[in-house]
Amino acid sequence: MAKKRNIKVLVSKVGLDGHARGAKVVSSLLKEAGMEVIYLGMFHMPENIVKAAMDEDVDVIGLSYLSGEHLIFTPKIVEEMRKHKLDDVLLIAGGTFPAEDIPTMEEMGIDKIFRAGSLTDDFVQYIKDNVKKR
Amino acid sequence: MDQTNLAEKENTCKTSWDDYLKAYYEKPSSLKSWSGYDLKEIYTPADRPEENYEKDVADAGTYPFTRGIHANMFRGRLWTKREVVGIGSPADTHARLKYLSEQGGSGLNTIADVTYEMGLDADHPWAVNEVGLTGVNITSIKDMETLTKDIPLDKVSWSLITASTAAPVTMAQYIAVAEDRGYKLDALRGSIQNDPIHFRYCGFRPACPLDLSIKLGSDVMEFCTEKMRKWYYTTVNMYDLREQGINAPQEVAFGFGIAMCYIDELIRRGLDIDDFAPRFTFYVSCHMDIFEEVAKIRAARRMWARLLKDKYGAKDPRSMQFRFAVHTAGCSLIPQQPLNNIVRIAYEALTAVLGGVQSLHCCSYDEPMCLPSEKAHLQALRTQQILAYETGVTNVADPLGGSYYVESLTDKMEEESLKIMKQVEDLGGMEEAIRTESLDRQCESEAIKRQKELDNGEKLSVGVNVFTEKQEKTTPLGVQRVSAKSAKQQIEEVKELKRTRNMKKLRDAIKCLRDDVGAGKNTIPAMIEATRAFGTTGELLGTVREVFGYPYDPMETLESPFN
Repeated sequence: MAKKRNIKVLVSKVGLDGHARGAKVVSSLLKEAGMEVIYLGMFHMPENIVKAAMDEDVDVIGLSYLSGEHLIFTPKIVEEMRKHKLDDVLLIAGGTFPAEDIPTMEEMGIDKIFRAGSLTDDFVQYIKDNVKKR
Repeated sequence: MDQTNLAEKENTCKTSWDDYLKAYYEKPSSLKSWSGYDLKEIYTPADRPEENYEKDVADAGTYPFTRGIHANMFRGRLWTKREVVGIGSPADTHARLKYLSEQGGSGLNTIADVTYEMGLDADHPWAVNEVGLTGVNITSIKDMETLTKDIPLDKVSWSLITASTAAPVTMAQYIAVAEDRGYKLDALRGSIQNDPIHFRYCGFRPACPLDLSIKLGSDVMEFCTEKMRKWYYTTVNMYDLREQGINAPQEVAFGFGIAMCYIDELIRRGLDIDDFAPRFTFYVSCHMDIFEEVAKIRAARRMWARLLKDKYGAKDPRSMQFRFAVHTAGCSLIPQQPLNNIVRIAYEALTAVLGGVQSLHCCSYDEPMCLPSEKAHLQALRTQQILAYETGVTNVADPLGGSYYVESLTDKMEEESLKIMKQVEDLGGMEEAIRTESLDRQCESEAIKRQKELDNGEKLSVGVNVFTEKQEKTTPLGVQRVSAKSAKQQIEEVKELKRTRNMKKLRDAIKCLRDDVGAGKNTIPAMIEATRAFGTTGELLGTVREVFGYPYDPMETLESPFN
């Protein structure tokens, strides 16, 4: 039997948004929960993010949006993932969004959204339960 | 009702009444201040046995200004009700400014968007997706004309929130427009944030290398010291630092450390401390712990007075006065049960006023969801007005002064802040702490602590880890969207300007700017002329960056069109 590897998560900011506190905190907490985390940092376009996800062969992509750019970049990232057939990679997003945008983002292809004010157990457990690719 | 249903009903009631009993006997879950300091059950005169009122506290308006910078505080003038505005295009932002001023706002306050702060024109490949999303984009002098249209610049007090190295460009654009309309520079009233050093901690590191931050930040300060005597030319932004997750004394210590970088540079340039220090202002956070935040502000006033007098030899009392605006803590707000944010903001605003604030921005309740909608913006302004006109807080200076608790906590805040300032000094000073990323590490570890406090219930947040409810489906007062049409138009107008302007004139102006930077001169005069020649934000900043050996474009995508 192949040795089960740790869940591997890529966390990235998108575009110019510099509110990185949440993305960094989440990255640290996922590491503490035993996952392998690649924190890509700020200033990434959809193409880079998806390329990094492929290079690193991750199970999860976590996007952090705090500047109202979520509806602009999400379709581009989903499209890029489809193009590269990353169907089995879990796509989650965190940050600040109006409630009205949550169904919209889910329709666009985000698997799960964690707004500001989420607790660590919630997102750690969600990832453990829902990782598709193992 | 059959037997089963009755039993079920009784069971429900039993559970419910048990909860009531538990709630009735409930005690506070934490006996610590927000920043984690142990608190006693009661404070008495024994907590400050050596109090020397004249030396350490003193009346408001008297050194060391612990109790306030004016003797009569709000009886002399209410605080400025200054809601931050920045949305979409300059015209969209202008419309919201006008609306708030009609509703009783008393100070204008506009915030740059992420593209402008990064020094990117609206047509930059990285900017096109995000123009106007977080503030207003100003690419050229024309945008500044639109933003300030019909506003009497000698009568209003305008706070320009550009914090990054784009601040000198903003200053040049504002000055050029004002002069072209016939205003004298020394008649202009207001402030520019102009604190590029702190902005590296807000995601703008590519636009804010340390040497360039000190150079350009100080250029604005030096220029205004000479030409704009009513202008406050830096608002050292302790608020943004606090939003990174740090605690109250860290906020003061790091903020003062950054302020000292600018002061040291201005002194190195030969300016007298009393010529410029009266124009320093600060942006302070008011978080949820009412007494700790008031104590923090009182401690900051005392510390600033002593720092300026003892370390820098200031003689003018105005140099020693810690003037500050408050931004209620955005990071204390949550999207869960969002109307509760109105209450949080009101407490934080009360705290600011109890602390003797000069100018206040109340967050709108929708801060953790979107830009302020018009209704939310108005509600935030109304929060200030209720506080100012209905609660009696404006009658008496420093109403908490003399409280055994608050005086003791003020001492504690001072002691802790001074300890952190000493640690920074031991690292080799603030510049060194920044260079070695010691500050980054402290912010990051504090931010993790904050999340863990919520995870383990050490800090309670209604809607997050206590009294949670199902997620709402709508935003109560509606969602503010940024018009895609406005952004597109802004981008098209910039492209059109670049096609039609006089390139010969612009090249000459850019050459002057480059020469001035190369010769170590103040960059503002050449920037004013370059902006009049329709040089854009990215072009002016890029030109300066190149002389300093940095890539023309902070995103390293574009090359200079002038080489």
